[in-house]
Amino acid sequence: MKGVALVTGAGRGLGRIIASFLAGQGHDIVITARTSTELHDVAQFLEGNDVRIVPIPGDITDQVHRTRLLQQTRAMGSLSLLVNNASDLGEIPRPELALASLERFRLTLETNLVAPIALIQESLPQLEQTRGLVVNISSDASQGGYERWGIYGSSKAALDLASKTLAAELKPRHISVVSVDPGDMRTRMHQDAFLGEDISDRPLPEVTLPFWAWLVGQDPERITGMRYQAQGTLWEVPA
Amino acid sequence: MNRSELLFDRPTDLFASEPPEMRGHDRDDVRLMVSTPGSDAHYSFTELPGLLEPGDLLVVNESATLPASLPAASRLGNIRLNLSTRFTDDLWLAEPRWSPSRPGPLPLKEREILQIGEAKAFLLQQYPGIPRLWFTRLDTPASRLMAKYGEPIHYCYTPAYPMSNYQTIFSRFPGSVEMPSAARPITAHVLDMLRSRGIGIVGVILHTGVSSLEIEDETVEHQALYPEVFRVPEATANAINATHARGGRVIAVGTTVVRALETAWTPNGLRACSGATGLYIHPGNGVHVIDGLLTGLHDPVTSHLAMLSAVAGIDRVKKAYGEAIRNRYLWHEFGDSHLLWRQDAN
Repeated sequence: MKGVALVTGAGRGLGRIIASFLAGQGHDIVITARTSTELHDVAQFLEGNDVRIVPIPGDITDQVHRTRLLQQTRAMGSLSLLVNNASDLGEIPRPELALASLERFRLTLETNLVAPIALIQESLPQLEQTRGLVVNISSDASQGGYERWGIYGSSKAALDLASKTLAAELKPRHISVVSVDPGDMRTRMHQDAFLGEDISDRPLPEVTLPFWAWLVGQDPERITGMRYQAQGTLWEVPA
Repeated sequence: MNRSELLFDRPTDLFASEPPEMRGHDRDDVRLMVSTPGSDAHYSFTELPGLLEPGDLLVVNESATLPASLPAASRLGNIRLNLSTRFTDDLWLAEPRWSPSRPGPLPLKEREILQIGEAKAFLLQQYPGIPRLWFTRLDTPASRLMAKYGEPIHYCYTPAYPMSNYQTIFSRFPGSVEMPSAARPITAHVLDMLRSRGIGIVGVILHTGVSSLEIEDETVEHQALYPEVFRVPEATANAINATHARGGRVIAVGTTVVRALETAWTPNGLRACSGATGLYIHPGNGVHVIDGLLTGLHDPVTSHLAMLSAVAGIDRVKKAYGEAIRNRYLWHEFGDSHLLWRQDAN
């Protein structure tokens, strides 16, 4: 079988698409998000794929919740794919970094940086068993230096570096880590980031499906440490 | 670029329906039109070596063709499932068709199951922007299904011939679902002549998916293309850089080679590169690596024509195609050849 996947932020948008792709692939999946109704909708939508879908609503910054997630993946087998997708955009409307609330900044860092690393730390025994893959969802804001994207962007830049560092550190244990910038998409988060603006020219998150299909076909150990653009023209496998 | 710029009329009796060897000829017994900025001239393919200079370099696609067309039973009756792009042995992009000659789209739904012999194919989701292609999961490795049931993908103008007709002299790495056909007329005889004239030959790999249909978007550059798996080996990158450094010309044998090479291009020269490329080459981004393109003749309003326009400009391409039609050149994989030099190559 394909092993067990854990997808965070799976209630809508990109996380929902990744979960539905993996379910179609025959992965058993634990999905989580804070909004319980949305999460259960996704679970219901994915029924009929002949795989086990277990929705566990909660906040990934909460250690008790994380423990529950990983106990569940353990109970279903062993985690082979961890997708850290849940993200917090921060204050809306997006403030200038120099004027931003530091308290709110810390919350964003908790969700976007500390919690994904915590999940990786806590799932190491399972990932080691499966020689698993961690996918950290990044953003072009991590490299852009765009005005008013400093909070979200710096959290993602830090996550990119964490991904690369973990890839190097976990190589001897055959655990692989990649970072994926999905590109602009027509999602609730994107709409929140562009309040009141028309974002209908952005593609739906389905636009990333070809990338996920390609990614699951790769030997994780050959691509560990890479950062991919899901909507880019080249997905490179290093020599 | 507007899609209407890529329109032209081409009589359908100019579709090559069979390989030359079926008529008792050699593979190299096809015609070759050579287009420079000033002229479109007519040769036979065996004259190719003499049209190149010692020190020129041909880059060929070493991908071999799979029997990727499978018979399938469905809710709609018996159909065909043409495999297009391999992600894993049991996850492919695939095109359901009514028959080889009758394309879809078929009124199929997500999670619909097709039966291929004793195996099942699950249609998962449609490809974003290309709804005729489906992400498809197989409960049996595709390699086994192809070995048992597969035949070469073929369309309305030709029956399925034995697989050997769909391999070129360079085919080494199975993975294409349609023959990278530009090298098809290169026989051992032509190869000998090329080598003795001092023309280099190096390889890349690009596994082709199913042919793209007509561009639907009014703006050519907006058309969605799916990615293809490719590899530009280090030795090939080095040979191309060395050829350019000493003033030689690099000729891509086929549009697939152009896609692979342009993906591996950097402003400092070509580099070794492997992975999947979704690069769409059109006049807006241009070509950087090649000085000439040896290829077949392509259909109206296709992404291939956009690539040819990037090589030589749409006006030259249309002039050449007018010349080819007047001289009754044959289209498609078993047809005639066209060597298109870049505007600034000669």
